[in-house]
Amino acid sequence: MTSRIGCRELRVSARGRELLRVPELDVAAGEVLAVLGPNGAGKSTLLRALGHLGHLHRTGDVLLDGRVAGPRELRAAIAAVLQRPILRRGTVAGNAAAGLRLRGVGRAEARRRSAPWLDALGIGHLAERRASTLSGGEAQRVAIARALAVAPRVLLLDEPFAGLDATSRADLLADLRTVLDGLDTATVLVTHDRHEAMALAGRTALLVAGRIRQLGPTARVLDQPVDLDCARLVGFTNVLPPAVTGRPRLAAARPEHCVVGGDGDGLRIPGTVRRVVPLGAATRVDVDTEAGTLACRSVDANGLGPGAPVTVSVPEAALRPIPTNGAFVAT
Amino acid sequence: MDVLVDGVAQALSLLFSGDQETWAITLLTLRVSLGATLIAALVGAPIGMAIALGSFPGRRLLLAAANTGMGLPPVVVGLVVTVLLWRSGPLGSLGLLYTPTAMVVAQAVIATPVVVALVAAAVQQVDREFLVQMQGLGATRLRALLALAAEARLPLLAAAMAAFGAVVSEVGAAQMVGGNIAGQTRVLTTAAVLATSRGEFGLAIAFGLVLLLLAFAVNVVVTLAGQR
Repeated sequence: MTSRIGCRELRVSARGRELLRVPELDVAAGEVLAVLGPNGAGKSTLLRALGHLGHLHRTGDVLLDGRVAGPRELRAAIAAVLQRPILRRGTVAGNAAAGLRLRGVGRAEARRRSAPWLDALGIGHLAERRASTLSGGEAQRVAIARALAVAPRVLLLDEPFAGLDATSRADLLADLRTVLDGLDTATVLVTHDRHEAMALAGRTALLVAGRIRQLGPTARVLDQPVDLDCARLVGFTNVLPPAVTGRPRLAAARPEHCVVGGDGDGLRIPGTVRRVVPLGAATRVDVDTEAGTLACRSVDANGLGPGAPVTVSVPEAALRPIPTNGAFVAT
Repeated sequence: MDVLVDGVAQALSLLFSGDQETWAITLLTLRVSLGATLIAALVGAPIGMAIALGSFPGRRLLLAAANTGMGLPPVVVGLVVTVLLWRSGPLGSLGLLYTPTAMVVAQAVIATPVVVALVAAAVQQVDREFLVQMQGLGATRLRALLALAAEARLPLLAAAMAAFGAVVSEVGAAQMVGGNIAGQTRVLTTAAVLATSRGEFGLAIAFGLVLLLLAFAVNVVVTLAGQR
């Protein structure tokens, strides 16, 4: 794999506190890397440090095609999409052309080159609308078209779907996937949503407290967390101590695999219902057990109420051992 | 009532007959106040932008000072500039007192805090991430700042209009540092004061009308330019 963009010993600090430390990271041309982390983990900081965007106190090197790159090279190579679509006054077409205009391309040429990207993102028909009249989803599509129009060698996406409703988000994810599949661009997607990583990224990095804890193929990272923080991050939020599982190590399971009143093989944990939350298709039931409170799923909420004695069943296949020495922390 | 009607009639005849003295005073007023606004914009806009975008010690204090400065009494500014330019004062050797240049300086001092405070407010209206986004599309720092100014052009123009409005209508500083010398430092406001004190209400009203028209014309031009 040849690296399109990467970093070595990249550190960012603010007021003497280290916010981020990434010894090594590489993203190849045509690849999408998701950086998944909780709020405040340093995801946006990593993205901005890679792009030399904004004012950061940073040390270490950012590499472009394996060579140390300065702000000028990075500026030429990179396009960024931020969490909120920051559009300028004027029409959608003018906004889509703005990236090229900022790079010194003439007005007509910029319009000509950016128009196909509006079509690719399904907003070609809005070209003459004023940007200020767009919905959040439409505006974010314009921001993405604007970034892609400059034919960036590196695309930086900073939680671009975070502010969108579920439907717009799903549609945009699908469209973006289609667009990126045909490109030679190295893409870094910062997100706190594992479903976005799954939809777009071949590889995923888990960032916790400014450090990359785990990096690998997305399917593996999301299924085999290496420590407790990573487990929680990718949705294994029910932590089961050895006393409950009979296994030598801490284990974790996803709430959707912990079923109240299930009758399959595997682990059976007795407890009492704390609360019942209807979620439409399924029902979430929080159960107090000797492993702490477990978030569980139930297909049928009939007769379940706070205080009711229940049994939570967890299939063996749903348990993930957590290879950590850390003490069990009740959730 | 007669005084007012006669006054307006006389004012209109003065204006439309192309009275030379009235026009000379109007032109000098424009020169002094536009010059002062220009200087205030050149000095104040970068300070206002720095306050809005930067993070340096004393930033809030500077903004508070600018906001206070928006209400700076022109008489106080006139007094300070007069003292500085007085024959035996620290800048007396320049011989600037009772010249249009002195009036420009005094009015620039009045207008600068207005520009600083309003430019800071104008720039702060734009999304905080705007510069990062522009850089993230390949803009240099300078291009990103120009894009920011273009984005905030209406409130920025409003800042310039407010500064011009503040100085074109002030009388205290113009009177003190200019001295209201006929043909040299007489501007619309000082001329209106003098005419009123002499009981020449027609003349005073004429100057007042020109002042109003001037302010209106500048605002129309600037507003149209901003909304183009």
